[in-house]
Amino acid sequence: MTDYHLVIDGATAEESWTYLDDDAALSDAPSIISLTRLKDEADALAERSAPFGVILRADGLGKTDLGEDVRELAPFIDRLALIAIHFPAYRNGRGYSAARVLREEFNFTGQLRATGDVLYDQWAMMNRCGINAFELAANIDLATFQTALGELSGAYQPAADQNRGALWARGK
Amino acid sequence: MYRYDEFDHKLVADRVNQFRGQVERRVSGALSEDQFKPLRLMNGVYLQLHAYMLRVAIPYGTLRSEQMQMLAHIARKYDRGYGHFTTRQNIQYNWPALDKIPDLLDELACVEMHAIQTSGNCIRNVTSDQYAGAIEGEAEDPRIVSEIIRQWSTFHPEFTYLPRKFKIAVTAHKNDRAAIKLHDIGIVVKQNDAGEIGYEVHVGGGQGRTPFVAKKMNDFVPKAKLLAYLEAVMRVYNMLGRRDNSYKARIKILVHETGEEEMRRMVEEEFAKIDASEMLTVPQTEIDRISAYFAPPAFETLPADSQAFTQAQADDADFARFVRANVVAHKQDGYAIVNISLKPIGGVPGDATDAQMDVIADLAERFSHDEVRVTHEQNLVLPHVKLDDVKTVYDALAAHDLATANLGLISDQIACPGLDYCNLANARSIPLAQEISERFSDLDRQYDIGELKIKISGCINACGHHHVGHIGILGVDKKGTEFYQISLGGAADENAAIGQITGRAFTEEDIVDAIETVVTTYTDLRADGERFIDTYNRLGMAPFKERLYD
Repeated sequence: MTDYHLVIDGATAEESWTYLDDDAALSDAPSIISLTRLKDEADALAERSAPFGVILRADGLGKTDLGEDVRELAPFIDRLALIAIHFPAYRNGRGYSAARVLREEFNFTGQLRATGDVLYDQWAMMNRCGINAFELAANIDLATFQTALGELSGAYQPAADQNRGALWARGK
Repeated sequence: MYRYDEFDHKLVADRVNQFRGQVERRVSGALSEDQFKPLRLMNGVYLQLHAYMLRVAIPYGTLRSEQMQMLAHIARKYDRGYGHFTTRQNIQYNWPALDKIPDLLDELACVEMHAIQTSGNCIRNVTSDQYAGAIEGEAEDPRIVSEIIRQWSTFHPEFTYLPRKFKIAVTAHKNDRAAIKLHDIGIVVKQNDAGEIGYEVHVGGGQGRTPFVAKKMNDFVPKAKLLAYLEAVMRVYNMLGRRDNSYKARIKILVHETGEEEMRRMVEEEFAKIDASEMLTVPQTEIDRISAYFAPPAFETLPADSQAFTQAQADDADFARFVRANVVAHKQDGYAIVNISLKPIGGVPGDATDAQMDVIADLAERFSHDEVRVTHEQNLVLPHVKLDDVKTVYDALAAHDLATANLGLISDQIACPGLDYCNLANARSIPLAQEISERFSDLDRQYDIGELKIKISGCINACGHHHVGHIGILGVDKKGTEFYQISLGGAADENAAIGQITGRAFTEEDIVDAIETVVTTYTDLRADGERFIDTYNRLGMAPFKERLYD
């Protein structure tokens, strides 16, 4: 059981993934592993049939706490079915840039998931940056989630979603 | 001036409704203060020493008269009859009730105004030259690109939770009145040899406890590429800016710790990636649409001189002084730029009453093509006044204590709100500004002293810009007593510089005398025609230090 529930592409979904600790053995179930493990065990992982994903951590990595570099995922992109971006605090917006790099620079098409301190008022921004899966607190229903996404009707600027932004749309 | 279309109106209305919901959730307890804080900040609401404070955005410092009337109305209805114009060309209200703020924002939205992104760790209100479109010698009206940046940065999904706040300023003139080199990004609109418009981009300026003058990152970003370039700078900052220590989180620290060359390399690399898609190249039709709003107003064809204007100066010595200090040449013959000082002797720098705002709105409508500007030095401007009308405008201003003839002089000080309002301050700023203003109240003496910019901050966060005052004053707290440190030689213009501290701080009792000593040292030692800053730059700190401490 998880202490969150999932919304994927705007619909409630069953959790089919497991976060694996670095010292836990790989199983045949779809697993989310750390970037360190991904780099260390890339060849072994490639030989497995079960899908795997990675979590990109944004803190807890030393003095200046810059988080993990999204571009380190470049060599593995085609093999990743899921990338979870960790938001250690809703104020830490580093993951928004990571999401856009994954979608727009690496053309990542798998599941891009927000995990951690993922709150009502940040969902719409995350969604615009290409995040399509959200780990929501257990007491949040789908209707609340949809309301949050719809609070702002438009955007001025393009990002990783379909909205081109008014500065561009007006010119058409 | 820019006018909202349906899209702009809808987005601001959506935002007010969203904030109304957030306030309701806060009041009901569904949101904790910690969860509510970044949301209220993103809507300009601070929790100050005594009450909530609301900061309303005045994009690039330009207002229509109906907007100024609304600011007056809000001061009357939601505050205590006044507002405070800030160094970021915004206005702050110190006493609104939290549950009334959504209504206040609804009223603001009626005149195309808002408080979006006036605080929080996002891209803040874009600031610019108060003389935009009125001064001779601009490459292009800087408000055109400022408006494009305003739109691009509004609710930018990637840059709403940056490591720290982010400020962008734009000028298009060789004389920088927007302090662009003291911003996270400073932009100079310029023309290259081929006659094309582009942008010189400076990155990493700022004040606070670690002041830096910005580094020039790119000499000429072509017009079509600016947003891609800005997005590259922002992305490098969002990914690599420090979040472990809020005092080291501004982009100036990243530029400093990374080094200018490496920063430039990273920005260029990111820029190449972002620009490859040309996704951020604004369509020419949209640039033209926005530019049209900033076309010059319908100026009359007039002679360069006005007999009435000249005669009025001969007849009225006070008016002549006002013209000398506050009136600036306009690019259009027969017109003038009229500065309105919000620094009456003994007053609170930047404050204006509702009645004063109404008067200024009325004058703007009748005599200045409906425009008012706010300056980063906390004054106001009527940008397009016919020379024939300057005396009429002056008389109306004088009747409301708005004709103080001290622009750029020693009593035209910048001061932060200080310990009277702010919960960060160590010392009072406003009372000190008032005392200095009283000490040098004699206008003839002020003219004799000439251009001298005093800037006062009540704490190291430097909201009063003390680092870049010709004379800077910083309030410090020593064991519960207020002390004031003096720095000299700062500048916020095109020759931006950080001032040097004179030495040990002065007590509240001694600080005004110390300022007087600095001023008399200058008047004793100045060469012909030298301003304070010139004398300081020629002689350095030594003579000032000697007189202050020996």
